[in-house]
Amino acid sequence: MPASHRTRHALRYLPVLPAVVLLLVFLAGPVLWAFHASLTNAGLTGRHARNPDWVGLENYQRLFQDPVFPLSLALTLLFVAGSAILGQNVLGLALAVLMRRARPVVSATVGTAVVAAWVLPEIVAAFAAYAFFSRDGTLNQLLGSVGVAGTDWLYAVPMAAVVLANVWRGTAFSMLVYRSALGGVPGELTEAAQMDGAGAWQRLALITLPVIRGSIATNLMLVTLQTLAVFTLIWVMTGGGPATGSTTLPVLAYQEAFKFGDIGYGTAVASVLILIGAVFGAVYLRLLREQRP
Amino acid sequence: MTTPHKRVRSTWADVVLLLVGACFLLPLLWLFLASVDPAAGHAVKVPGRPGLDNFAAVLTPELLFRPLWNSLLLSVGTGVVTLTAAVLAAYPLSRYRSRFNTPFMYGILFGTCLPITAIMVPVYGLFVQLRLLDSLPATVLFLAATSLPMAIWMTKNFMDSVPLALEEAAWVDGASRLAGLRSIVLPLMGPGLGVVFIFVFIQAWGNFFVPFVLLLSEGSQPAAVSIFSFFGQHGAVAYGQLAAFSILYSVPVLALYAVVSRGSGNALALSGAVRG
Amino acid sequence: MVAAAAMVLAACTPADPAGGDRTIKVAYQKTDSFTALDTMFQDAKKEFEAANEGVKVDLQPIQANDDDYGTKLALALRSPSTAPDVFYEDTFKVRSDVDAGYLLNLDSRLSGWGDWDKFDAGAKEAGKADDGGTYAVPLGTDTRAIWYNKKVLGAAGIGLPWRPSSWQDILDTARKIKASQPDVVPFNMYAGKGTGEGSVMQGFYELLYGTGAGLYDPDSKKWVVGSAGFKDSLTFLHTLYAENLAVPPAEALDPNIWKKVFGEWFPKAKLGATVEGSYAPSFWQKGGNYAWPEYGQDMAVAPFPTQDGTAPGAVSMSGGWTLAVGAETKQPDLAFNFLTTALNARNSLAFTVNSSQIAVRKDVAADPGYQSGNPFVKDVSDLVAVTRYRPATSDYPRISAAVQEATEAVITGSRTPEEAAADYDAAVAGIVGGDKTIRK
Repeated sequence: MPASHRTRHALRYLPVLPAVVLLLVFLAGPVLWAFHASLTNAGLTGRHARNPDWVGLENYQRLFQDPVFPLSLALTLLFVAGSAILGQNVLGLALAVLMRRARPVVSATVGTAVVAAWVLPEIVAAFAAYAFFSRDGTLNQLLGSVGVAGTDWLYAVPMAAVVLANVWRGTAFSMLVYRSALGGVPGELTEAAQMDGAGAWQRLALITLPVIRGSIATNLMLVTLQTLAVFTLIWVMTGGGPATGSTTLPVLAYQEAFKFGDIGYGTAVASVLILIGAVFGAVYLRLLREQRP
Repeated sequence: MTTPHKRVRSTWADVVLLLVGACFLLPLLWLFLASVDPAAGHAVKVPGRPGLDNFAAVLTPELLFRPLWNSLLLSVGTGVVTLTAAVLAAYPLSRYRSRFNTPFMYGILFGTCLPITAIMVPVYGLFVQLRLLDSLPATVLFLAATSLPMAIWMTKNFMDSVPLALEEAAWVDGASRLAGLRSIVLPLMGPGLGVVFIFVFIQAWGNFFVPFVLLLSEGSQPAAVSIFSFFGQHGAVAYGQLAAFSILYSVPVLALYAVVSRGSGNALALSGAVRG
Repeated sequence: MVAAAAMVLAACTPADPAGGDRTIKVAYQKTDSFTALDTMFQDAKKEFEAANEGVKVDLQPIQANDDDYGTKLALALRSPSTAPDVFYEDTFKVRSDVDAGYLLNLDSRLSGWGDWDKFDAGAKEAGKADDGGTYAVPLGTDTRAIWYNKKVLGAAGIGLPWRPSSWQDILDTARKIKASQPDVVPFNMYAGKGTGEGSVMQGFYELLYGTGAGLYDPDSKKWVVGSAGFKDSLTFLHTLYAENLAVPPAEALDPNIWKKVFGEWFPKAKLGATVEGSYAPSFWQKGGNYAWPEYGQDMAVAPFPTQDGTAPGAVSMSGGWTLAVGAETKQPDLAFNFLTTALNARNSLAFTVNSSQIAVRKDVAADPGYQSGNPFVKDVSDLVAVTRYRPATSDYPRISAAVQEATEAVITGSRTPEEAAADYDAAVAGIVGGDKTIRK
């Protein structure tokens, strides 16, 4: 390639520069800093606040010996699997399928209700969910009105409460994705299958889902990663408790770094979280690549 | 659509959908009832003496208008910066073939993977070092960076769907690349850009954690943070006011969403956005 | 007063050599129910700017609860460019922040400040670091006691004034209240992580320090593990919660429970007694968040007893806050002079009364305005004689979290007191290392 050509080629990509600079400074930089800080004993206060020592993998060793860590990891995976992969994804698909069969006015109304929870500011959604699940909240009142004794949801089953709250809050995204994906499925395909006598479930499993598998993979990736980072909802509803009953990794990282001022240890937790995000991302990217022509 | 066979199914789907929709509305019920109940707790009840006292109590410059104004600055700023950077970046990615494209797009996808909560500690450190703490513009740039990966991805997909042929016709007429982008591509992408903007705007408007960590002084905090202080501090058990505040804080994004989704047929637009 | 003014003038006349920037940045906490400090700084700002021409005081209130305020302050202190010149500092953070190099040594300046002699000697200790130097000036302190509702105790036939002499007395009284008024919470003691530091300051420590045990052994500089007192204290909490003499555990873990205590249960006579801070009247007095005009008649204070009444017969815990000067300040003299203006007799008095603090200046303590600030000033001030302080080491916040976890495990019934105490011992060894613990 002649030099002038190469220059022109490079110049064409000049407009990418602002985005690249923003991403490098505000995302890549902090990620590298996080990995670096996780290898030190940096603190918010105390002797190591301004002059942290290099401690190598000590924080990670401590992390892997900490009984809270496996628990927190399991809770995080449970939260992601329950509220994103199963909850939002499946409910979103179901809603999208139902909406194609329901009356337009019904599907528009219900669509608005579902989307409202998603559009709400996260802190408002968290307050609403807290009030819903609290001891004298809406859920227990409803149960009481049909004669069922409720329980203290945020205390007795904190993970179930935050998982349900996140399903409530996030399903709209999957629903919108699947509505548009289903809109792109050629009508002839399903009609032909119907002529051949395929039932509704068969048509869904054999025709529709394979056609939209690209959207499924993309949606799964996006909701998984959004859910992995959820902090505010859990923080407001349970604060990670009772005890460590709902301390997912973002909550643990916040507590260690900010509450206990142990920046080195907190960023070690955060680094693990970043790595988990990267693993999920890599898996879904592979899925996406495989299904491409 | 009008065969009897289909209509039976329709009713069945209607019923299920309405039930699910009702479940989604239930948590919001408390917000509405408590906001008009001067004596609200966190139990749902029809107000004994409904009134707008709660709204009156929070409609003050310090409590509501300044935080909302800050939220607006933050969200519009983030939307504009993100959209500009995303359109600029998406154009070469969509229009030129290069070895650079695929790795870059995968890098971008990876960027969407980044749990933002995980990098808040280092970001705070960065802001301290650069003396950017408590600066609204700097917070805007950070929020823009966090929403850029998704925005670039969506924008590129929208741009891919604008046929190159239209642009080429303009070049034949003597228009430059930039003019082609401005006069042909962007107008055709209008609804799509609207979706990206709304997506970014809603995220910035609702974001709590980022401004909570980066904006310290009272005067620059957005509504998300002031509402948290209101609830979390040594405050009164003012659930009614909290609910009223929440509603006033949520109405702008709900309205904006309604306007844009009406204008562009949101479901359709999102398909272009997240198609793999 | 005169001395302070003289200092101010003296500092201002020579004009600082660098000239240039003459702005003092002041960081402090402000919440919607804690505005007394904001008022104090606003007054001090006016006074100081009038006395020092060309100097600007830049007030930067941080709107946050105690935990978040501590975090935000520490994060700001970490960088010299954002560190404030004067700031509001929790006493138990003083030592670790001195270790971090955040605070300026004030010894030479304090010796030239006439008012310094008027500060209570015990309170001065709070501003000292391991090297013996003073780095912070106390603003006020507090004590903790039993606050009880006379109506509830009266209805249960308890003789008033009530003065329990042992833990058993508390249980007996609580059981009587339970029997006579089933819908009343007889005796609440905070526990668990929900109320954070408050759950140990107004709860577990009153128990632990009344057993003869403690958290930390200052002589050997080691943390105490395996003490009988620790187990006994957990057992007491267990009894209280298991017999439903306190609130249901789920409610105890709600971070907002204290709002119900102050705002709902006491005024409505739904709670017999609780352990709370001397600042309680600041919520009930006129202009407070839960204004309750009758609180002076309905409520009363009793010292928290030791386990079995052994001397000194009562336990209290003290915290309190200070003002400090940033180590990196470019205007150390101006900053210190502003601090002395903020803490002069007049400003201290107003602050102490507004926030129901216990005075640390003798002249303020002797002021009639202070003594009549609320009906309980004398009761809670007397407890200064028996009060205890938390170990001010940088490990403390984590140890405190471990204590909170132990109490939470016991009140929820997930662990027995013995198991929870063993868990605590293991946690402490994990935090500070086994060689920094001592069995007592």
